[in-house]
Amino acid sequence: MTDPLSDEALGSRLAAELPRHAAPAGLRHSVSEAGHPRAALRPWLAAALSAAATALLLFLVFIPMLPRIVPADPVQRMVRSVVAEHTRTLMWGARRPDVIPAALPWLTQESGIGLLRVFVGDERLTFVAAEPVYLEQRRGIALHYRDENGHLLTYVVLPAPGLPMPERQRVQVDRWRPALMQDSGFSVWVWKQGDLACFIVSDLLAESDLPNFREHFVRVRVATEPILK
Amino acid sequence: MDEGNFRSDALAHLDALYNFAIYLTRNPPEAQDLVQETYARAFRFSHRFQPGTHLRAWLFQILRNTFLTFYRLREREAAVAEDGVPDWDTPMFHDAPDEDSGAMDAHTDLERAMRRLPEEFRTVLLLAEVEGLPLEEVARVMACPVGTVKSRIFRAKERLRGLLRDYETR
Repeated sequence: MTDPLSDEALGSRLAAELPRHAAPAGLRHSVSEAGHPRAALRPWLAAALSAAATALLLFLVFIPMLPRIVPADPVQRMVRSVVAEHTRTLMWGARRPDVIPAALPWLTQESGIGLLRVFVGDERLTFVAAEPVYLEQRRGIALHYRDENGHLLTYVVLPAPGLPMPERQRVQVDRWRPALMQDSGFSVWVWKQGDLACFIVSDLLAESDLPNFREHFVRVRVATEPILK
Repeated sequence: MDEGNFRSDALAHLDALYNFAIYLTRNPPEAQDLVQETYARAFRFSHRFQPGTHLRAWLFQILRNTFLTFYRLREREAAVAEDGVPDWDTPMFHDAPDEDSGAMDAHTDLERAMRRLPEEFRTVLLLAEVEGLPLEEVARVMACPVGTVKSRIFRAKERLRGLLRDYETR
């Protein structure tokens, strides 16, 4: 008689006895609907959207030609670039949303920055994506997280040997003294780890949001250790 | 493969994907969300699918990656064995919550035992034994060598056997 717990028997039992769950009709319907190409837009709406898109395109093309005030302070310049990267991710999402920490060797190769330890999220901050970035003529790394209230946080590391820390904006958070800066409606934590400048950007700008933003900083800071490769 | 054919071919695997999602999440609403997200991604990235390869395995792979991405809430420093699976008593960092409010009840010892397996073990058994995927396809879904799949199946059955014996002696 065959042992019911033999390898072969277990395989057969799994195939025969494990209940199979059929997809509910509602799911089948919604997936099928999602699979169909969208219905054609009404003609007037298509024209309006086309005009709006053209206007937006022209606006975007001419933006670089408008006179801009570039901050003289190197930290502020970097903060502005990091905020721009955060805004880009907010608007269009991460370029490589499928990159998970398993792909960190690839990120290191692309960015020149290694992560000895990396915060991959917890019950309050969910890891969204990781990607290499090029900001202020430097290769760097950006990790994106989303908090339980839906706020996106962007953690950026850029090589910045000799970058001075803005002393006036530094605040004590746990055992660290990062600088808390603001730019274009975003809050930014700035700190140095060796020759690397680290930033966390978020729209947690209100006074009431600050305790959360502090906690997020501690979470990332304590669990992430970038190094220059 | 044109887009219409791709969609209808992909939809033919809906039941299998939902079944897999149920065993991963143990929660029907979450399983439905997971399957919807899987199809959304598959349709969005249909151009990346190589015709002639196994569509079902590709869809399973997307589903599992989506599951790991969205459900990996905590990473604990687990002692990892050679085949990448933490040891017996080490909690898995990307298991779905054990007994949350929407969780399904297990009706048989086999089902109960499957639930107690770490995700890597549960997945290899579901794909290889229940869905009947060839080991090469299972390896592709799990992004690991075929040898690792074989080792995981062996260890998964070992654990399953232990759990079933425990249930019998209670």
